[in-house]
Amino acid sequence: MSATLFGQSVLSGIFAGSLYALMGLGMSLSWRYLRVINIAHFGLVFLAAYMTYEFAGVRGFSALAVALLLIPLFFMLGVIQQVLILRFNVNEFSSLIVTYGLAIIAEAVIQLIWSADFVRYENRALHGNVEVGTLLLPMADILLVVIAVGLCVATWAAMRFTWLGKALRAGLDNPAIAAAFGVPNQRLLLLVSGFSAALAAVAGVFVALLYTLAPSQILSWLGVVFAAVLLGGLGNPLGLLAAGMLIGVSEAITMAVTAPSWAPVVPFTILILLLVLWPQRV
Amino acid sequence: MLKADAVCVGYGEALALSNISFDLGPGELVAIIGPNGAGKTTLVNALARLLPIRSGGILLDGENIARLTPQQLADRGVAIIPEGRRLFTSMTVEENLELGCYRAAARAHKREGLEQAYAMFPILGERRRQISGTLSGGQQQMVAFARALMARPRLLLIDEPSLGLAPVIIKQVFETIARIHATGVSILLIEQNATKALEAAQRAYVLDCGQMIASGTPDELRQRPEIGAAYLGHGH
Amino acid sequence: MASVTADTPLIPTRSAAARFGVPTALAVALVLLLLLPALGLPPFFESFLYLLCLWISLATSWTIISGFTGYFSFGHGAFYGVGMYTTANLGASLPILVCLVIAAALAALLSLGMGAVIFRVRRLRGELFALLTLAMTIVVATIVLNTPIDGGPGKYLLGVQLPRIYDNSATTIYLLGACVAIGTLAITYFIQYGRLGRGLFAIADDEDVAEGLGVPSYRYKLIAFAISSAIAGVAGAVHAIFVSYVTVSETFSSTVALFVILMSVIGGMRHWLGPAIGAVFVTTINFVFVSGDSALAARIVIGLALILATLFLPEGVAGFVQKQVHKRRAASAGSTDTAPHVLVPAAPIATAPATTERPVLLKGENISLAFRGVQALDGVNFDIRQGEILGLIGPNGSGKSTLINVMNGFYKPDTGRLLFEGQDLAQMPAHRIACLGLARTFQIPRPFQHLSVLDNVMVAAMFGGAAYPQETARRKALETLDFVGLANRAGAFPSELNLHQRKFLELARALVSDARLVMLDEVLAGLTPSEITSAIAMVRRIHGGERTIVFVEHNMRAVMELTDRLIILNQGKLIAEGDPRTVMDDPAVIRAYLGTSDAES
Repeated sequence: MSATLFGQSVLSGIFAGSLYALMGLGMSLSWRYLRVINIAHFGLVFLAAYMTYEFAGVRGFSALAVALLLIPLFFMLGVIQQVLILRFNVNEFSSLIVTYGLAIIAEAVIQLIWSADFVRYENRALHGNVEVGTLLLPMADILLVVIAVGLCVATWAAMRFTWLGKALRAGLDNPAIAAAFGVPNQRLLLLVSGFSAALAAVAGVFVALLYTLAPSQILSWLGVVFAAVLLGGLGNPLGLLAAGMLIGVSEAITMAVTAPSWAPVVPFTILILLLVLWPQRV
Repeated sequence: MLKADAVCVGYGEALALSNISFDLGPGELVAIIGPNGAGKTTLVNALARLLPIRSGGILLDGENIARLTPQQLADRGVAIIPEGRRLFTSMTVEENLELGCYRAAARAHKREGLEQAYAMFPILGERRRQISGTLSGGQQQMVAFARALMARPRLLLIDEPSLGLAPVIIKQVFETIARIHATGVSILLIEQNATKALEAAQRAYVLDCGQMIASGTPDELRQRPEIGAAYLGHGH
Repeated sequence: MASVTADTPLIPTRSAAARFGVPTALAVALVLLLLLPALGLPPFFESFLYLLCLWISLATSWTIISGFTGYFSFGHGAFYGVGMYTTANLGASLPILVCLVIAAALAALLSLGMGAVIFRVRRLRGELFALLTLAMTIVVATIVLNTPIDGGPGKYLLGVQLPRIYDNSATTIYLLGACVAIGTLAITYFIQYGRLGRGLFAIADDEDVAEGLGVPSYRYKLIAFAISSAIAGVAGAVHAIFVSYVTVSETFSSTVALFVILMSVIGGMRHWLGPAIGAVFVTTINFVFVSGDSALAARIVIGLALILATLFLPEGVAGFVQKQVHKRRAASAGSTDTAPHVLVPAAPIATAPATTERPVLLKGENISLAFRGVQALDGVNFDIRQGEILGLIGPNGSGKSTLINVMNGFYKPDTGRLLFEGQDLAQMPAHRIACLGLARTFQIPRPFQHLSVLDNVMVAAMFGGAAYPQETARRKALETLDFVGLANRAGAFPSELNLHQRKFLELARALVSDARLVMLDEVLAGLTPSEITSAIAMVRRIHGGERTIVFVEHNMRAVMELTDRLIILNQGKLIAEGDPRTVMDDPAVIRAYLGTSDAES
């Protein structure tokens, strides 16, 4: 394998890893802080991707404007979902099944509106490449890495240093005592679910920018993103970022060395190795 | 300042507390003593609004607080030092203290509060970055005290502060309580260690099987033979 | 004292009629299904019936692991796919029945490998199981796609040798499917009412308690997983012949994993017949919608059904029916169990005073255990002597419950040995300790919530030290319930008991296996004074002058009345040991336990 091919593989792995982290961030937060294993997250990501395709691609609005509209809209969707989950007192395990059902419905609805065919959104502004030596860096991917790293680091810092983050962690340790010191647990949970869904919107915009869309792909992301979330540690944005990159890069190298169709095996091999060698990690 | 009137609390069909009444004046230190399982912690949790109250009223400065949320109660200047410390165990010492002044009115005093806390408990200053769950029992109790003081409370609910601590640490804990009381904070002390509690308190109530069975000054209670035998380990 | 007589309202588990009726009914159903083609059915009807059989097999087999133990598998499709590709590759060269056996073996092997990895993890094990089984489907699909097993274009099944029963090969496939479905139902039925099933249900409710009562949870989960997967493999192997062309994308799509969950959730996962009910419902809906050309609508309906069933019918149709039946029985039996059961205190038995001369039953040497830097037990040495009642006391947080948890195998000590008849229990799994004859109760009762009072006790009787066969276990369980005064509540569920009764249920579970060492963790906490009096009499009768009991308690009256000897813990250290009167006068004990101040002592 030439140095250029190797370098290009590592780069594409970093790009893919960034998207895993971006998709996983909302999932990781809601699993850790809400005890909701949210499979519907992928439904939201693709809903956002298709809406980006529809409004920015077909109807010609600016992609940025669409993103700025989707973020608050999805924030509300996330809050509504959490209100219902609290209302029905859904436990962690039932949340997995209920949100699986939601994801199935999202897939069917997307197929109903946009058909089962592949669609592609071409964005001219982000079409170019940056050349560094012999390596090609697409603009859209660079933007993705910046946003994904930025959001993960910002979320980590917010959890670590702000009143909000500390109150959330305290609520997780001991909700009753946190409440006795004035922490509004319920409201914070709604905030987390809204934020998670807003992250799904951001991830969806990038899926639209970078990939050809088809409803059948929705759950194909599930396995690899789950692996990144678990590897990174629940609610740990920096760990998630590192795990996403690790999976992305090892997938890309596997693809370069063998055939692209072997890539799906990589994340689970890593996950299973981790379980065998280090079972107390998760 | 605090007045409970015929408070009843129950889990399921059974009443854990029936017709509890007591009062506490401004700046007073009142103890509630009683054996394990008498309902003491249930009472604290009900007062802190962590448990629903079935009937009866609790007045704080004349306002009925029986239906408030814990957050609303915190805004009225009531802080709790719960049984078994119940720290935010995965967070650092300093983060625990910061959570103590989470409510808006106390936040402004964060820096000052931290300085006072570290002056009062120097060991916590040395260990401010340590994860609180890894501290020893006595140090954890200090964090629980410091956390409550960060809220700048007018009324402090202290539940079983001597629980599971070595005698020498228990002595320090009661010294700390006396120092806090000296600054003018009203204190409701719930304690199984009746001897220690009666030494510290100005007045006391005896709780057993979910009911208040006696009250008075420490001297009065010590002289009542049935109390001495049952709760103070005399005559054993 | 009420005794169990013929007219005592019994047990909504399984009536005698059902015990013989169900296998007969299944046999009749099989014969009917096999005879149907002789009537000359239209082909679409035959293929519909075949699909029903396929989904009944898949959903029911999924329930054996996921419904009975509560470990949700999202990877049932992988085992089904293994079966499909077994026939696709070997069907032309081997007889079909050999293919089915190989399919079952391969699927079972795959599940054993997965299970051996996942079931070893302690935290998050349910979630991990769900995710890794999901991931496994993708891995298996990738391997099949990239190797000659498929290679990409899909596989045609040519020249599969089918036994000629009817002229038409489609009919033969239908017959195979029917046999698999009825066989699956029969296997699941026998599992549910056998030893394995009782163990699995206990695991689903509280895995730690089950382990503590002697259920070998790791092995049982592996067995259930292997049976479940083997059946899915066989069903897939038959289905490959039915579709005659297999592709990776069809075989390993999420359809199978989704449908089996859906069917079981709707039909009820804690009953052998539940998934079949769900399978009939969902397959019919799907058949109707798809033949009406609205496959998308079918997906939406199915997604909605999944959500609604989880929220409003969490126990499924079968669970709902069972509950209604239980309610009706409880209502009709109501008149017979109104009178609260009052225990007559037995005459105190004179205890032999010279306990130090009794032989040592269990010896703890230098037991230490730290949690996250806190020393919960610190070099504790103690003896438990044959036939004594040993009081274990100390302030809250002094390590009493931790010591019990070490003795029954829930915690592994960092250092030290626990010698019980020459065997070291310190690093032994909890279920093996239970089988040696050590039993315990929990301070806060932890009954199996979904099992009746009788079944709760039966689990303990069928595993544990005694390991009675089912009928003996039932008799023993009823006797023990009678002993603790719960005989008239045998058919109730734990949620219908009050705290006092739940504590006595704990006692019954600990006693039914004739344990030689019984550890009672604060059985009196939360009881009223009159209940305490009857409980003290009960402990005395449990002791019966010979059974060894470790008695953890705060109530000093009970401690002084009951115990032969005391050991006292404070901050994880043993601070005193010996005769109750002497020990309680020890100044160190008074300081630590009674909390008297230094000045006074």
